Amino acid sequence: MALNYDPALIGRVFETTDPVPVSAEMIKKFTDAIGETNPLHTDPAAAAKGPYGGMTAPPSFAVTFRNGQHFFQHVPRFGKQGFDAGKDVEFVAPIRPGDSITLSSHVKEIYEKTGRTGSMVFVIVRTTLKNQKGEVVAHVDHRFMNRP
Amino acid sequence: MSTILDLHSHSEASEDSRAPLEAYLNWLRLRHAERPLHGIVLTEHRQFNAAADYRALEDKFGILVLKASEVETDYGHVLVFGVNEEMTRRFDFADVRLPAQELIDEVARMGGVAVPCHPGRPTVGLCEHYGKKPPLENVVAVEVLNGGSRKGEDERSEELVQRFGYGAIGGSDSHLVSLIGLCATRFDADVRTIEDLVRELRTGAYEPVDFRPRRKAVPHAAAVEVK
Amino acid sequence: MAEIKTIASYEEVQIGDALGPEEMYLSKDQVRAYARATGMYVPRFTDDEGARKEGLPGMITPGNMSLAILSKLVTDWVGASGARMVRLGTTYRQPVLPDHTIALHGFVTHKNDADHSAEMDVWIENEDGERLVIGTASVQFPK
Repeated sequence: MALNYDPALIGRVFETTDPVPVSAEMIKKFTDAIGETNPLHTDPAAAAKGPYGGMTAPPSFAVTFRNGQHFFQHVPRFGKQGFDAGKDVEFVAPIRPGDSITLSSHVKEIYEKTGRTGSMVFVIVRTTLKNQKGEVVAHVDHRFMNRP
Repeated sequence: MSTILDLHSHSEASEDSRAPLEAYLNWLRLRHAERPLHGIVLTEHRQFNAAADYRALEDKFGILVLKASEVETDYGHVLVFGVNEEMTRRFDFADVRLPAQELIDEVARMGGVAVPCHPGRPTVGLCEHYGKKPPLENVVAVEVLNGGSRKGEDERSEELVQRFGYGAIGGSDSHLVSLIGLCATRFDADVRTIEDLVRELRTGAYEPVDFRPRRKAVPHAAAVEVK
Repeated sequence: MAEIKTIASYEEVQIGDALGPEEMYLSKDQVRAYARATGMYVPRFTDDEGARKEGLPGMITPGNMSLAILSKLVTDWVGASGARMVRLGTTYRQPVLPDHTIALHGFVTHKNDADHSAEMDVWIENEDGERLVIGTASVQFPK
């Protein structure tokens, strides 16, 4: 079965969000929720003496940024909009309180396969996170599973 | 002399696997006492790499590496051993709806053998399809022991073997380095080539072998205090 | 809780070393706290009845939370060695249901002496030993 989508979509950035401010409070709520006790992410005084010279968020904080409200309009659908099938994250630079993070996304790949729940079409979207200095902070490849 | 092979594994060539071949072989060398394998078969999803030559790695680690494929059919997933150019011209391995009966018969005619894998798995296993369609003919063996199976699935596969008298194989279905060889197949005969493998699967004696450690009960840990 | 091994330096790392295993009880309250903290306070992650209406068996753990749990397994293991996790890839195989004990497992699968990096498998198992989330991580030690 040939998958029906515009091949020009692949690689083309379809969304760049407005900057999202990161506060110390957001980071604290996150570290509390996952039970993170590493002082580099929870104790500003200790973090100041650490490798980054200040508080940083745990690396997995990078996947908590929401895509823009029109995100799913640009991501091809094949039947029912489905599930988050997994993420591959490249951690490039730490995220700190006071940062402003911008997300840019493009469709990276589309493929189909069958599994225990039936036919599936996977859409991989790469989102690049940059901070207010224009530095890349992370690349997040999201795998979305659709059921045609 | 017998041969133990993991007949079902995925390297990073398969889109959902994160295991380089060399890391697989290194792991088997490291864990040889608990997983005494002579070799593995790479059964990549929906593809076959005819050009890939793993002899240097085989020599480096002293472990056999054979190539095969896992394809998707109207009766579920099937492992194809002895893939050749005639087969890849006849069947588009990327097609997720290959006709299973034709696949089994044509692959046999072309010198290979097609073995349905994880038959007890929902949707992509034989058992469920046998519930609604006529059973396939000329099935030589099915994969009764699969390292990725969930509770009850391998038991269902075993029932199928009891009912139809199929040969039974085992494979890890590994997508991670450290899971290679946990399930495998022991052949009575010496298997050194893909031709040996195809011949033994069709007419030889073999059985699944399970190298997974016995599970101990998981103690309940304390919940994280939520602030 | 049992002593979890941490690594002090690249030299100490051996292929085959285990991360964890670590058992944790993932409560519904903790999942709700995560959903609230990350702006995802929606029925599928917070309410059994609401989740069932979406065809789920009950409220489920967000995939991002599973990723965070495995991320912490790795960062706890590197401890104070100064190593940095540079990559984490995950595949969500089955929903992770809260109010269950999950086991976190990992193994070092590769070392690269040229750049002092290491690769590891990581995964989350349920009480039946089924792997719910699997993944790999890359860690960069100071050179």
